[in-house]
Amino acid sequence: MRQEEGVWHRLDVVARSISPFFVTLLLVLVGLVPLHVSDLSPIIPALTLIGVFFWSVHRPDLMPIWAVFILGFVQDLLAGGVIGPGIIGLLIAHALVVWQDRFFLAASFAVVWCAFMLVAAAALTVTWALTCIAMMTYVDPDPVFFQYLVTLAFYPCLAWAFLRGQRLFQR
Amino acid sequence: MNKPTGSDIRVASPLKAWASRFALLLLVGAAFGLMLIGRTNTFIVEETRSVVTDMVTPILDAVSQPVETFGGVIEGAEALANLRSENLTLKEQNSRLMQWQTAARRLEAENAALRSLNRMVPDPSMNFITARVVGDPGGAFVRTVLINAGERNGIEKGQAAVTGDGLAGRISEVGQRSARVLLLTDINSRVPVVVGDVRDRAVMAGDNANAPELLYLGPTAKVKIGDRVNTSGQGGVFPPGLPIGVVSSVSEKGIRVKPFVDWSHMEVLRIVDYEMIGILDFEEQVGAARAVAAAGNEQ
Repeated sequence: MRQEEGVWHRLDVVARSISPFFVTLLLVLVGLVPLHVSDLSPIIPALTLIGVFFWSVHRPDLMPIWAVFILGFVQDLLAGGVIGPGIIGLLIAHALVVWQDRFFLAASFAVVWCAFMLVAAAALTVTWALTCIAMMTYVDPDPVFFQYLVTLAFYPCLAWAFLRGQRLFQR
Repeated sequence: MNKPTGSDIRVASPLKAWASRFALLLLVGAAFGLMLIGRTNTFIVEETRSVVTDMVTPILDAVSQPVETFGGVIEGAEALANLRSENLTLKEQNSRLMQWQTAARRLEAENAALRSLNRMVPDPSMNFITARVVGDPGGAFVRTVLINAGERNGIEKGQAAVTGDGLAGRISEVGQRSARVLLLTDINSRVPVVVGDVRDRAVMAGDNANAPELLYLGPTAKVKIGDRVNTSGQGGVFPPGLPIGVVSSVSEKGIRVKPFVDWSHMEVLRIVDYEMIGILDFEEQVGAARAVAAAGNEQ
């Protein structure tokens, strides 16, 4: 009986520790679902970026840098464009958060959201610039800007859902 | 979970910081490496991509159906609201189309007679494969969709994807049960077209905007707004005469084409299996030539 409890407990711990990665992987897939809404497709929010940022802030131990790399790789593969710029954007977002981890320790939700504003701007700008270089053409930055705004607006909704989920897990 | 104590953190911090910096550099370097590989060896990238896409497509297939149904319900409600006015418009349109049908039948007969008179080589026959759109990556950098049919359904690279309205794009990658369609609006899309009744030749190039641009029009070409744009069939990639769209703006900045396809309601695509040997076999031919050359060198 005790042995069995140990197994279940360990399984539980494993499930909890890999859930940030799989939730973010799920976000990569959700971003692919065709919504059939006019003109929404180009400015669909960067859901993966939200996932990576959120977990890097709240559970950096469960969102290691190699997981960020894998998420970026899968995202870029499925998007069908150049592979690399998206990965580097996510890595930079992760690195910025880890670099300032002390700042995030006591930050309120609003402050974290403001920080996301800066981090997402950096990540998307780098992604855009590298995409331009890799494609050797000038890609219109307007959709990227609108995508940035939509991503900012989406952040609180997703973060709220994640926080609720986290609390549910911790009970 | 075991929380590290204060002394643990003090000892581990410099080491950890160094390790994480190294990991960051390593992974950013790897990402740049992938970017380079993507540019130089597209084959490996495409293979990997189609394997991953194949794994994801069944999930997307399952998820996209309820989303579509939900969208259908909203549309149904909207349609119910303006049933009467739509009915009137349709009746009017129907009578007009009946006249067109008569005209088309007459022209078809005349065309057939003229073709036989000229002993013209008939166009290769077309087969259609119908597939559902299950994925749309969106974003600012690409205009592609994923469909739930692949090699095992007879899809091949380079085939044209059409809707009832007109040309939507062409197959750019094929997996076992999924394929990627590069849309006309994508920044990498180039389609040889003919414009208007004069049939001026041009190349329609996408730039991720909703209306692709016409390039390489001859100096004598006179293009005006409303001119129809069809595929020319040059290069043998697309069948000739597939409707694409109409010229929507002519200015000094360029000529733009508004495609007929309704991008937001593109739920099903028909893939045209056009049995013609085109330039896409070029790669194979070059590959075969290289293999022969390599064999020659070895001897």
